[in-house]
Amino acid sequence: MAEISFPLPDLGEGLIEATVLEWLVSEGDQIERNQPLVEVETSKSAVELPSPQAGKVVKTYGEPGGKINVGEPLIVFEVADDTAGIVGTVPREEAPKRRVRLSALPDDED
Amino acid sequence: MTVPEHQTVEGSDAQLHVEIHQPDEGTGPDGPTRPVLLLHGFASSSKLNWYDAGWLTALSGAGRRVITVDLPGHGRSGSPDELDAYAPSRMRADILQVLYDSHVRPFEEGNAASGVDLIGYSLGARLAWEFGATQPELVHRMVLGGPSTQDPLADFDLAGAQKYLADGTRMSDEQSYSLLKMAQMVPSNNIFSLLSMIEAIKSEPFTPSEAVPHMPMLLVAGEKDELAATMTDLAGLSPKAETLVLPARSHTNAVTSRAFKNAAIDFLAEHP
Repeated sequence: MAEISFPLPDLGEGLIEATVLEWLVSEGDQIERNQPLVEVETSKSAVELPSPQAGKVVKTYGEPGGKINVGEPLIVFEVADDTAGIVGTVPREEAPKRRVRLSALPDDED
Repeated sequence: MTVPEHQTVEGSDAQLHVEIHQPDEGTGPDGPTRPVLLLHGFASSSKLNWYDAGWLTALSGAGRRVITVDLPGHGRSGSPDELDAYAPSRMRADILQVLYDSHVRPFEEGNAASGVDLIGYSLGARLAWEFGATQPELVHRMVLGGPSTQDPLADFDLAGAQKYLADGTRMSDEQSYSLLKMAQMVPSNNIFSLLSMIEAIKSEPFTPSEAVPHMPMLLVAGEKDELAATMTDLAGLSPKAETLVLPARSHTNAVTSRAFKNAAIDFLAEHP
């Protein structure tokens, strides 16, 4: 098994920090990608962050009311070794199949 | 799905940005279901108030079809020049047009696809209250977030804001100044349209006792929401209103609350 850490993402418009309102997952939970993770509030608005990753939650950072800076750790997942990859890269998948071409002319490019 | 932008409308086109979202597959009952119309707050947008706050995910996951509309001068809607476009009465007429364009049909007892449910926040809650009162044949149930017996925008220092924007003269009213600063932080807002909306709201202030909606309503506000301090008084006007207070939440951060979303989804799913 491997661990992957995700930082608080850039929330746009020069916002540099966010306050944790409520965690929607707990350490030990097995969660799906895009499942709501946590509610945070910036100086502009409150947002619900979806999970960037499927896996088991190993650690969450920040209690309700606590501040986290953009780029600082937010959550750590445990995932199977072969899905871990390198943080910041797209997980390796099968080579994409050729798309159906709408052009009537044959095309030998690959 | 985006509703086609060119429709036949009475009067001038309101240039409102409307989106319709189908429920997640396998989540809803079989057959067509009644949609939920979401009405965002002042200086917000469908994106900020509903998408980013996680409402679309929650409602779609609960099997609900969702209609969002950006108010004039907000989000991706147009910013008409004429003041009339921002009047609450005109916005309600435009919302009615949006619902007819979205094939919403009057509510019939026992028909799960008929009528519409409403969720409104802040200014959207005011519009929903009035819309529910004037369109009882369409609205099935509604949830009003951060509601109040008065429209807080009616007290906004408009002259002060115009002076501040023109030459930076300090605004004396702190509440108006902080509202203006908040409105300016959202790049999709047209600040002059927002001031037009305030001007129009001042000419049509909220008088909830004048027309009380008769369908079941759930009123929800954060415990620390000063703008919704009169929520209980508002609920007292209707025999069918329930209230929910969200501990430790404010007017700004009540919108993401999981307890709010769950309560809204459960309340709208009840019958009749």
